[in-house]
Amino acid sequence: MTQTSTSDVTPDTAETQPTGTEPTETVMETVVNIGPSHPSTHGVCRVVVHLDGEVITHCEPIIGHLHRGIEKMAENRTYLQVVPLTDRLDYVGSMYANWAYCRAVERLAGIRVPERAEYIRVIVCELQRIASHMMGIGSTGADTGAFTAFMYTFAQREKVVELFELLCGARLTYNYVRPGGVSRDLPDGWVEQCRAFTAQHPSAMLEIDDLLLGNVIARARLKGVGVLTQVDAVAWGTSGPIARGSGVDWDLRRDDPYSVYPRFDFSVPLGDNGDSYDRARVRVWECVESCRIINQALDQLEPGSVQAEGLPRLLAPRPGDAYDHIESARGSLGVYLVSDGSPRLYRMKVRSPAFCNLAVLPLLAKGHTLSDLVVILGSLDPVFGEVDR
Amino acid sequence: MVVIRKDITTPASVSNEYSPGVKGFLEKVHSLVNGLGITARISTEKPITIRYPAEKWTVSPRWRGALRLRGVLGHDEIPLIRDASTAYNAVIDDLYNGERLPPCVGNCPANVDARGQGFLIAEDRIPEAYELVRDRNILPGVLGRICHHPCETACRRNFYDEPVAIRPLHRFAYEEFRKVASERLRPLPITQEKSVAIVGSGPSGLTAAYDLMKAGYRCVMYEREERPGGALNSGVPAYRLPRDVLYDEIDGIVALGLELHCGIEVGKGKPLGALQREHDAVLLAVGLQTSRILPIPGAGADGVVGALEFLWAANHKGETGVRGKRVFVIGGGNVAVDVARCALRTGASEVRLASLESEEEMPAHPWEIEEALDEGVIATCSVGPEEVLVKHGAVTGMRMRECLSVFDETGRFSPKYGEGLSDFPCDVVVFSIGQAARLDTLIAGTEVLVSGRGQLVVDGSQFTTSTPGVFACGEVVTGPGSAIGSIATGHEAATSIIRFLQGAPLSENRTPRPVPVYAKYAVADVSSVERSRLRSVMPMTKPEERAKDFRQVELGLTHQEAMMEAARCLRCQSEVCVGCTFCARTCPDYAIHVERVDDPGGRCLTRYDLDLSKCAFCGLCAEQCPTNALTHTGQYELSFFHRDLMIFDKGEMLRSGDGTRATGRDGIMPPGCPVPRWRER
Amino acid sequence: MTLLWGFLWGVASVATIAGGAILGVWWERKVSARIQMRYGPQQIGPYGSLQMIADVPKLLFKEDIVPDLADKAVFKLAPLFVFGPVATSMVVIPFAAGWAPVDMSVGILFFLAVPSIEVIAILLSAWASHNTLSTIGGLRATAQMISYEIPRSLAVLSVVLLAGSLRPLDVLSAWQWWWAPLTFVGFVIYFIASIAEMNRGPFDIPEADSELVAGYFADYSGMRWASFMMAEYGSMIAASLFGAVVFFGGGWPLSGAAGVVLLVIKTVLIMTAVMWVKWTFPRPRQDQLMSFCWKVLTPLALLQLVIVGAVLPWL
Repeated sequence: MTQTSTSDVTPDTAETQPTGTEPTETVMETVVNIGPSHPSTHGVCRVVVHLDGEVITHCEPIIGHLHRGIEKMAENRTYLQVVPLTDRLDYVGSMYANWAYCRAVERLAGIRVPERAEYIRVIVCELQRIASHMMGIGSTGADTGAFTAFMYTFAQREKVVELFELLCGARLTYNYVRPGGVSRDLPDGWVEQCRAFTAQHPSAMLEIDDLLLGNVIARARLKGVGVLTQVDAVAWGTSGPIARGSGVDWDLRRDDPYSVYPRFDFSVPLGDNGDSYDRARVRVWECVESCRIINQALDQLEPGSVQAEGLPRLLAPRPGDAYDHIESARGSLGVYLVSDGSPRLYRMKVRSPAFCNLAVLPLLAKGHTLSDLVVILGSLDPVFGEVDR
Repeated sequence: MVVIRKDITTPASVSNEYSPGVKGFLEKVHSLVNGLGITARISTEKPITIRYPAEKWTVSPRWRGALRLRGVLGHDEIPLIRDASTAYNAVIDDLYNGERLPPCVGNCPANVDARGQGFLIAEDRIPEAYELVRDRNILPGVLGRICHHPCETACRRNFYDEPVAIRPLHRFAYEEFRKVASERLRPLPITQEKSVAIVGSGPSGLTAAYDLMKAGYRCVMYEREERPGGALNSGVPAYRLPRDVLYDEIDGIVALGLELHCGIEVGKGKPLGALQREHDAVLLAVGLQTSRILPIPGAGADGVVGALEFLWAANHKGETGVRGKRVFVIGGGNVAVDVARCALRTGASEVRLASLESEEEMPAHPWEIEEALDEGVIATCSVGPEEVLVKHGAVTGMRMRECLSVFDETGRFSPKYGEGLSDFPCDVVVFSIGQAARLDTLIAGTEVLVSGRGQLVVDGSQFTTSTPGVFACGEVVTGPGSAIGSIATGHEAATSIIRFLQGAPLSENRTPRPVPVYAKYAVADVSSVERSRLRSVMPMTKPEERAKDFRQVELGLTHQEAMMEAARCLRCQSEVCVGCTFCARTCPDYAIHVERVDDPGGRCLTRYDLDLSKCAFCGLCAEQCPTNALTHTGQYELSFFHRDLMIFDKGEMLRSGDGTRATGRDGIMPPGCPVPRWRER
Repeated sequence: MTLLWGFLWGVASVATIAGGAILGVWWERKVSARIQMRYGPQQIGPYGSLQMIADVPKLLFKEDIVPDLADKAVFKLAPLFVFGPVATSMVVIPFAAGWAPVDMSVGILFFLAVPSIEVIAILLSAWASHNTLSTIGGLRATAQMISYEIPRSLAVLSVVLLAGSLRPLDVLSAWQWWWAPLTFVGFVIYFIASIAEMNRGPFDIPEADSELVAGYFADYSGMRWASFMMAEYGSMIAASLFGAVVFFGGGWPLSGAAGVVLLVIKTVLIMTAVMWVKWTFPRPRQDQLMSFCWKVLTPLALLQLVIVGAVLPWL
């Protein structure tokens, strides 16, 4: 693993240099818009790609097509009413935004969460990590044309989503984690169904891994494509599987422990090369580790209340601010809240990992072909609800 | 199914490479063949598809499909909960199991239909309201003044502003009923040959007598004092309960046919054995007669009295002999507060209330403590009695030891004392730390057993004593408690007696009372609630005036206020929208619009609009609904021919699930609770 | 007379391809569905077999969209060209011994050469669409299809060498069972190259839906789009049929009508394998595909040819 930056541009100037071609050479440059409506943009991102033949000389992601002003909308809503809004941030992993927001609110208002609620939060968020990574790994397959692997990962995701549906009645925007706990206790039989899922998931996951990432064609497509060095990964502020794929050993669950994570035994998978392949495989093994965490949490789960006692129905924390972050499927997701003492938020700011991770796209895509661009974009696994907010 | 692998461990590095050379080539070929093998294997598996709600194995109340209302509050009459006392428990159980029991009814030990009272008063049918309450609460006018109102604690209106003033409405109903009492009180017909003797005219005895008379039995009641009322007469201070109210209400029961004999102490003038012979059943509702006094040094001195004796003197003689003296009251319960306030009223120069418990733990009701403090009572918390300081046989002061904690971890009473001692100069010490029954003269010459500690041996659910035909109820059974709790035991004892007299088994189809208590609601923030929606404030006399005499502190509601207050009752029925507008206020997208007519007697929901073009199906509204009227359905497929149709009005919200404008084949209504619906998976 | 017969055979060929495409689409939908843990079409007809009957009118009634900036004449003409060569090449395939629609002495060469005209049609459609992604797709298709002609032809050549004739009927009559193991590598090469020829997954790089949306036919709709799909299924049917004849002896060991049935079964099996491969593997990159063609498949095909040539004197 080389410790020097391979990019010849600094992060600040990367986007202002349109081409990396030799000045003496006359190049017929094609400009292609990938998106905003394109099968591989994972939402609505527009990537302006400058092509020399099929080789990318420069590309620039244009974001904002999914901007809904959630941070501004939150200023007109009570603390409870913001929770459904956070669902719409990272719509592949709603539980994370719910949780990060609720942690910030709890820090702001000094709410102590019952232990059972913390365990349930860990369980649903690790399930959510699996569901989200299923999307990420599956779309790696879909981007490279292996649509069947996508279907297999979605079969696994479907099981998680069904567990969530039993839990809270929704399949996508859960609105489940609430300030002070979670909205409802686990329904009867849920724990058994969850155990049945975690029992089969690692094996099924590794079978999908064999099918997709073990395949010689997929390795040819993914290995060495979009290499992000360790130095760049840190310098550009990436986090989550993108940073860990580059060998940055950083996981908030272990390095800034929150909730009941210190009670679990799990390891953090790391990649060597920082290419698209490593990023995809980090996700595979994170799913396996998540199953371990869920099993331990289910073992330690004890009966009790799932909502903090004596919570006022209309939260109005004292004036002040609070920041809290959690390790979402995409990296460290932080929420910063300011209260002016009224029942409505004064300000909300979301530090979204997908936004920071997407920033390295021009760096990674340069010099690769158009086919590789979609693979690189897919390996960054951005969710534009979170990027644009 | 995939073969479950047990040997899965995360590798140190996830970036696996092919081996060099021929082995690597074989690995590459193997990866292709392996991939074909995996797809071939999976193609033999049973396909999975996303299941529609209709195909799922439970009907889940957690679904977040289209919203609908189960019912709305209209002009039509709500069901009044009333039945003979023998069948009443079954009615309550039915309602409770069906989640249709209003919280106020469920939380009342005697299950008084406070909802029905609110409805009838709002309809200006006040005498009926009184009679409805009297069915379960024998003395509405009395309890309307002194009850600790668990009903209001559980009231759903706590949920979003303030509870309905149920207790003042009892009192108001009585005041109104009094005006027409002579027309409405007719003796109940005696249809049975058997008769019952009741010893004691306290609330539980009166309750049992009323139930028995309604069942057609002749009841004869004996009271030791000159006036009836039991503890209400001798123990409750007159500033809380004017005696004319008490006597008037009991006169009402006498008018229904009760034979009341005052001034006869059973056991002395009339032996219990004689009662057993004369009547077919005897009910002992004698209550508690003596105060407990701690055996600490100096407890026998002049100036140490028990609370009951003190209150008796205050109530009967109007004079307790403390004029100008400093009174020290030991105890933190309601009785202690009563003693303190009586002492003030009988002229004590300084009244100090010393409780073992800390300020938060004091067992007295907080509003009582507050009123006492307003009147000038000094409270000293977390001290336990150590010694009565005596000089020349008379009390000069009280030495107290600091108390660190009263209850241990498991919540049992086990006080821990510290080292600190403090002396309080005083002239009179009143012990208000508990009461006990005095039964020896009563049961002399009979086979009724008492336990070693002088208590009656009673079955706590059937209220039978060790002797067949002799029953007991009230505080003599339960120990010191609330008046409404005694009334509840009176109902139970009456049920037992009726069954006994009819030869029916006592315990069949009976559920131990009271029914489970509803959780207390978190206190709502009322800062943003308009004044007209809040609870009517009970007018009270000024503290400096009221502390001087025994006039009533609470002044009662006017007719107008009572009507308004009764209209505030949500008439909680499970699954009926009461128009509380909480869904509209909690909706993050402002998709709900609710309008309601709030006129007394005509309260109903007039408009309920749901704009589905705004609805995000977050589910907050249905979660907030206090009556579970607003629910989600299993309808996930919504489609409309026109944008205007996306606004559901009240009629649309009330339609049954499969016929709504929102089309879809999966219109399933979730029931109130999950119902397993096993299907082939 | 010959002209009339030729016309009739042409119609029959088109009908075979159209009907085969309809059945092929249904079969592919079922196969891919089972591979992906789905049911596939279920509602119309037994096992959803009439689904395509419902789909064809839908395609017919769809709006025929021609982009404003497109070269309209070429844009409209290209779908015909793309479909024609495949239909033409079908007529030389023998169904049973001594029975081929058109008996041509250079039939094998004809079969291998004529579909290459499709490249021109694809290039025309790509260019006429006036769309960057389509153009890239068209250029990819051109490079890919022309390159894969080489290993494909070389692989077939080994059988031609054994039979000693370019006439399909002669190949069929001369076919011996041990040719199959001898030329198995050749069949694999033919199989892979044919997939690349017909632009099917995993070599659907020209139309890669995740990169180029649909490549050269991204702007087509309705029946014009359907003709591209029919061409794809037509070339899949033709290549499978031809492979079954050349490498597996047509109806061998049966003859007559039973032989034709067996030939159809073999064809369907090869088609199923094509689908199986498509729904299992990811798609390589263009440069990887080209280097695979020139650095792996072509030398292997030559090696096969040398082996067959070495065996030949001993026969």
